[in-house]
Amino acid sequence: MTKLLSPAKSKVLFLGNEAIARGALEAGVSVATGYPGTPSSEVIESLAHVASERNLYVEWSVNEKVALEVAAAASFAGLRSMAVMKQNGVNVASDFLLHLTASGTRGGLVLVSCEDPGALSSVNEGESRYFARMLEMPLLEPSDFQEAKDLTKWAFELSEQIGNVVMLRSVTRMSHASGNVICGKLPVKSRKAHFEYDGSVMDSSRGPMISTPVVAKHLLHQEKLKDIEALFEKSPFNRYVGPGKPELLIITSSACFLYAEEAVEMLGLQKRVGILKLGTTWPLPPKLLEKHLRKTKKILIVEEVLPFLEENVKVLAASLVSRIGINTFYGKYDEMLPSAGELNPDIVAAALCHILKVKRKTLPANYLNDSQKAAALIPVREQTFCAGCPHRASFWNIHNAIALDGRKGFVCGDIGCYSMAALSPATGYHTMPTLHSMGSGTGLASGFAKLAQFGLDQPILTVCGDSTFYHAVIPALINAQHNRADITFIVLDNAGTAMTGFQPHPGLAISAMKEVVPAVDIAAICSAIGAKVAVSDPFDLETTGKILTSFLADKGLLKVLILRQACALSPEKKGKKIFDVKVNESLCLGDACGCNRLCTRVFRCPALTWDRTTKKAVVDEVICAGCGVCVSICPQKAIIKL
Amino acid sequence: MINRLKLLKKIFSGYIIQDEADVNNFNKIITESKKDLNKLNFMKKSVVKTTISKKFIIILPQNPGCDINANQKLGCPMRKKPGSQAKLKKDVLEQSLCTGCGACVGLCPYQVVYRDRTVQLHDCDLTDGKCYAFCPRTPADYGQIRESLFDVSDVTPEIGAVKGYHLSRAADPALRAKAQHGGTVTALLGVAMAESLIDSAIVSSRNEELEQEGRLVEAKSQLCDYAKSKFTVSPTVAAFNRLMGDTAGKVGVVTTPCQALALAKMKTARINDDGKINPLNLVIGLFCGWTLSVESFNRLLQQYQISPEAVTGMDIPAGKNVLEIYTKASATSVPMVEVDACVRTACRYCIDSTAEFADLSVGAARFGGDCDEMCGWNQIIVRSEFGKQLMELAVARGALEIREAPASALQDLKNAAAEKKRKALKNIVEKSRSVKNLLYLSSDDPVVRKYLDAGTKQRS
Repeated sequence: MTKLLSPAKSKVLFLGNEAIARGALEAGVSVATGYPGTPSSEVIESLAHVASERNLYVEWSVNEKVALEVAAAASFAGLRSMAVMKQNGVNVASDFLLHLTASGTRGGLVLVSCEDPGALSSVNEGESRYFARMLEMPLLEPSDFQEAKDLTKWAFELSEQIGNVVMLRSVTRMSHASGNVICGKLPVKSRKAHFEYDGSVMDSSRGPMISTPVVAKHLLHQEKLKDIEALFEKSPFNRYVGPGKPELLIITSSACFLYAEEAVEMLGLQKRVGILKLGTTWPLPPKLLEKHLRKTKKILIVEEVLPFLEENVKVLAASLVSRIGINTFYGKYDEMLPSAGELNPDIVAAALCHILKVKRKTLPANYLNDSQKAAALIPVREQTFCAGCPHRASFWNIHNAIALDGRKGFVCGDIGCYSMAALSPATGYHTMPTLHSMGSGTGLASGFAKLAQFGLDQPILTVCGDSTFYHAVIPALINAQHNRADITFIVLDNAGTAMTGFQPHPGLAISAMKEVVPAVDIAAICSAIGAKVAVSDPFDLETTGKILTSFLADKGLLKVLILRQACALSPEKKGKKIFDVKVNESLCLGDACGCNRLCTRVFRCPALTWDRTTKKAVVDEVICAGCGVCVSICPQKAIIKL
Repeated sequence: MINRLKLLKKIFSGYIIQDEADVNNFNKIITESKKDLNKLNFMKKSVVKTTISKKFIIILPQNPGCDINANQKLGCPMRKKPGSQAKLKKDVLEQSLCTGCGACVGLCPYQVVYRDRTVQLHDCDLTDGKCYAFCPRTPADYGQIRESLFDVSDVTPEIGAVKGYHLSRAADPALRAKAQHGGTVTALLGVAMAESLIDSAIVSSRNEELEQEGRLVEAKSQLCDYAKSKFTVSPTVAAFNRLMGDTAGKVGVVTTPCQALALAKMKTARINDDGKINPLNLVIGLFCGWTLSVESFNRLLQQYQISPEAVTGMDIPAGKNVLEIYTKASATSVPMVEVDACVRTACRYCIDSTAEFADLSVGAARFGGDCDEMCGWNQIIVRSEFGKQLMELAVARGALEIREAPASALQDLKNAAAEKKRKALKNIVEKSRSVKNLLYLSSDDPVVRKYLDAGTKQRS
């Protein structure tokens, strides 16, 4: 039996995301969908593992919008369902979400957004909490692992109570840290699905699921939100710790509660500072807030990333001013706390010191000097592709093709491991100067290609991963073809959603639940659109290079090159070398004219190292994945396959 | 504020970040810690200041991929001089001086030829590179090179060393039929091979799109497959560079003037002491007025609805001022003015029309009055002792016929060559906008000094 199905009352160490999954199981979830994205992926993965035992339907959907739609269908048919995504996934789902909140739901439907303050594994630190306010969804934020489970379970009940979707928001430090959770009961009965639609248009449990009549339904929804507010007043997930009359009140939620607790303890301010921790952050329970705002004049709001809570508390305080008087608020607006990046106990402690005029133990005087010296000794560790990564070979090919073409072509980047080509230019050989959201590379390329009439004569390339292709690229690709955009579109097909942990995608003949499913062929889609399509192995530098240079020279049409080579860390490849590779020292030119360390200075595979004493390149056998690409790039043929 | 600073410090841990208050102290801090920074020299040099707002200065590592870091980490000395490759780019490629000869190609992985352009694929930071040393368009003591390869007494200012000057043609009529003019080059190579003076020859070979590449020919019978003028540039020296690694034995190379100069620089360059140049035994130069850019010329062919792969040959018949383009089906005359537009820019700055640095130089014989009589003959300039021996051997073996040129021929050739020198130097001064800056040439060279336009000299 997996840990996720532990019996009631057992205490289990759960990853935050596992706690969320357990909560959903306890609530009797039937359908769970999502699109992989750090830090959210483990919720769906955990549920997929127990799908057959718990009679669940678990799906890695093509993108977040479809994930929410699939989950909503289950809700409409009376089942409990959830859709799980990372912060920017909510943006993708948001168009459907707007209409979903307007039509309402039936079976409990929970939208889980796992966010990434500080962009630890994202290229944004987007805030989806504002969607809760904008689309009028109840918002729950767990601040420990037990709460992650309990709040998830409660979210389903709330959703059914309000007849609408409920949002649960986690952050990296919650989703990816682990803590003890006392399990509750797993339900025995599962629901039967049936979609009723014969009732009146205003009957959300029997009528059609549509947003019209819009204004009437909107008013009804807002009324229900008022009921939720009342529920939130009494929620045990909102609690206060601290003295009766604190000098300073911290209002916080999520993992920031832990930072605030630790900061107060660190400075020994337990008797001066109180903490109001909120688990229900939208809509705010006004009476609860009033009660606590009365306690003191100084309020510090601690949250990640943007001042969402701060704004809502201030609005509420403004309406209460005749009763609670004027408070001083500290937070993001006065720059007491940064409104970018993650928080931590030190940052919160510094704010507390500043507000309460207490001093922390000072650092030694020569600290700056010493730290600078130490900093200088930190080895330069650049972000780079793994040894044996097909992307390195792909970008090598792309770089060379662009250089040969000579018109200063460039690659519009996209989201995947290959994003590193933009984050660390040496990794992408300085080819990828744009990077935005999933699928945007192709859209941008389609746009750049239309600037020829204004004098732009650079060849336009774009890349996307196999999973990204299905997620958001297809509309942009159709746009490019239809509008005669001259672009070279390259699919870096590494046989899985590699960056988030090899979740399957529509290109693979396997589902999240390990069922055999039809694979959707990228080449066939591109051919059907009418593009010129070629497929190559990025490790075959000669063939790939020829295709790319011919594509760049072939003007006026959409060209698609699918570079197929599985990720070096994929389960089928990991630990297996195609070739054993070594350096013939007598042939290696090293840093002499004629080579100047092409392999270690320019190509830069982490498995190629430079021996300072012999002044020769060396293959690090442990790191080498045996792809053999360095054999092709060595001008001296000194790197050999054994 | 203070927290934001700390946050940034955390994010960029390892690099110094100062807030506004510290901006004023910034220089002080750097000065105070100068001793340490000197010890850790790279720290100072491997970072750039990035001002992101009035409030912050962030110091980030230069380019994360920047080699300076890597070199420093490896204990390599700081390289202050610009790399040879960067100089090549600045002095030659960006100045449109690149002749496309291929001298910088095939030596290393960094320069390649693609569609008759020299492309720098990746950056190389070496300061003493062969690429710069061998390039016929980088500065060098050309007088010195001339002296070390030829008898000083043979050297003429107009056409370089002249040991002998004749009209010549291959004795074999079948060979002449395949050749552009007299088949002299093919005949000479044939004899050199038959007599084991060379084991193989590097000639240029044209593909369907009129792009050329150097090709190694090891059998005498194949030589005539590569006869005829090509009019586009061939990276022949790249083939030499590439093949020298693989082949043993003595090699003869057929070159344009710029290629002959590149090979001469290789022979005399101090950097080339690894012996790779040793197989080079014979350089046969071709007279050259200019070469065509493949790209522009293909466009021109397109205008005349000639597909490049159908072209069987080209010629500039004397006195007609046209380029004749032959296909199996037709002959098309293209006015020279249109052809001129396709000439590589670099050729405008070339002062050598007779391949002055070759052992023997061969060109078409075409003189105003004697057109018909000269048709099917070459002019040949014998420059080196080895060249003289080869020509005499070819005549003795009955492979080559020679006759005396008309009395005025040598002077006509010299006049034409001198005119090209004057024009090229004028173009160079126009480009550099100073008579003191002759790009790859120097007025210390008496040949250059002689043909620098009198008016230009006065202006200086």
